[in-house]
Amino acid sequence: MATANLLAPPSNIAPPAALALSQKAPLILSNPPTSSLPWPLSLLFSRETPESWAIHENLFLSALRTGDEESAAQLLSRLASRFGEHNERIVTLRGIYNEATAQTPASLEKVFEGYEKILREDPTNISIRKRRVAVLKSLGRTSDAVTALTVLLQNSPTDVEAWAEASELYASQAAWGQAIYCAEEVLLFAPTSWSAHAHVATLHSLSASSTSPPSLSGLSLALKHFCRAVELNEGYLRAFYGVKIVASKLLPLLSDTQVSSRKRGEQDDEDVPVPTLASVQKLDEIATKKLGEFIRDFGSRKKGQSGYDEAEIVAAKELLSR
Amino acid sequence: MAEPIVQTIHRDPALFWWILLPITVVMILTGILRHYAMTLLQTTPKKQDLPKIRQQRSLARGLSLRQNANVLSPAAFSARKAYMVQAYQEGKFLAEPEMRGKPRPNPMSDPAAMEGMMGMMKGNMAMMIPQTLIMGWINAFFSGFVISNLSWYFLTLFGLQPVYNFILGSNNAANQVSQQMGMQNPAAGMMGPEQDPDKLFLAEAENLEVLEHRWILEGIEERLVEKYAV
Repeated sequence: MATANLLAPPSNIAPPAALALSQKAPLILSNPPTSSLPWPLSLLFSRETPESWAIHENLFLSALRTGDEESAAQLLSRLASRFGEHNERIVTLRGIYNEATAQTPASLEKVFEGYEKILREDPTNISIRKRRVAVLKSLGRTSDAVTALTVLLQNSPTDVEAWAEASELYASQAAWGQAIYCAEEVLLFAPTSWSAHAHVATLHSLSASSTSPPSLSGLSLALKHFCRAVELNEGYLRAFYGVKIVASKLLPLLSDTQVSSRKRGEQDDEDVPVPTLASVQKLDEIATKKLGEFIRDFGSRKKGQSGYDEAEIVAAKELLSR
Repeated sequence: MAEPIVQTIHRDPALFWWILLPITVVMILTGILRHYAMTLLQTTPKKQDLPKIRQQRSLARGLSLRQNANVLSPAAFSARKAYMVQAYQEGKFLAEPEMRGKPRPNPMSDPAAMEGMMGMMKGNMAMMIPQTLIMGWINAFFSGFVISNLSWYFLTLFGLQPVYNFILGSNNAANQVSQQMGMQNPAAGMMGPEQDPDKLFLAEAENLEVLEHRWILEGIEERLVEKYAV
């Protein structure tokens, strides 16, 4: 796992890391990358690099996340003076700032109206469309958010981020079929991403478990995708965890269906090959062994060195002790 | 003891101060000037409108479906294939559905295409004019030792890129050599103005239809068991 820094977008970092990043704000704010000298001299003395603006942007996001709104406002004004108020990205960043500082639902509505206005002028502004979905989501209007997202996806069907978000929104409403469809769409753009495979597998497993008795084909698909995630990354704890859970659900079903071969014939219609009992048992053993290894490895190393989250390890321990 | 023969080239010591240095300085200055002239002349690329974006990205989606179809289960793939092929054949994603089946207009009469060509012309002019002027200037001003001057001129012409990188940053427009390299294969988009998007969609539909689908997750359980058995 890469350590968090200011050059990568801070979307997936843990709260302590975000706090550490946002504490760099005074240092960066005290060193403006553009020079204050008059024009020809400013060209010679500016320390501006492409990275300096990426750093500003990421620091801005981290600052908002940790509630340092003063620094965020300063960073934003610096970015705006460099790129102009009407730059598409600056408009989006200002929107994020307004969203983050909105105290009441009413003020959030106001931000939303601002987005509507921008989109009426320029319907191609995809990032504002995304912000609009985010506001709808935080206002709790999930079905509106889904509608807005589907419109966005009709116009820009190669947007992986939007597909992932749609998958999550559908999953939150337990619309598993749609959620799986969207997750598969993500998979099409990132076919070797183990986390995308694990996500599809999780959705299959949840959807299969929502019916009773759990659907055999759904669980088989979940097992397959978790297996693929393991194949792509042997150190992926979540995938082994998933393999173990799905296997534990599949084992009783499989031993049942093997007794009644009539039911098995029924399953063959849905062209998902059901795994054999023996291989599921083997996979269960493998997953148990690997999870045990991960837990031992985590215990023997210093904090933050094994690359696993403490929460993941705790969950794995709990699963093994069941 | 045989002394090693020292080879010396006899040249006028004034050559450095009066030929090499002025040419180098002039070349660097023109490069910088050209960079700023290009920055000024550049027109911001025109924004695509929403239907165009949709048309382009829908085609890209079909491409990625075709390339990565192996991750999908047969059921998921055939559902997508059926939808995409039908939509492509009906021309559902076309930006201008009414233009379907009609011949494409001549790019010379399209004002948007003309603008692009003007931009290219401007770029070419910004390179051609200084180049011609400087070469003429060198020829006229330093006449007498034309050979050595012109060779130094060409050396600086091709060798100043690192100097420009140092002064202007790495994506500058100062050096015409790199510009000409870029000109050789202009970024011909997947959907140039001349290409009929409808034809592209139909071709993609056909590609999808003949695609042989192999599921990469087939038999993965056994594969994994085997791998960990060792």
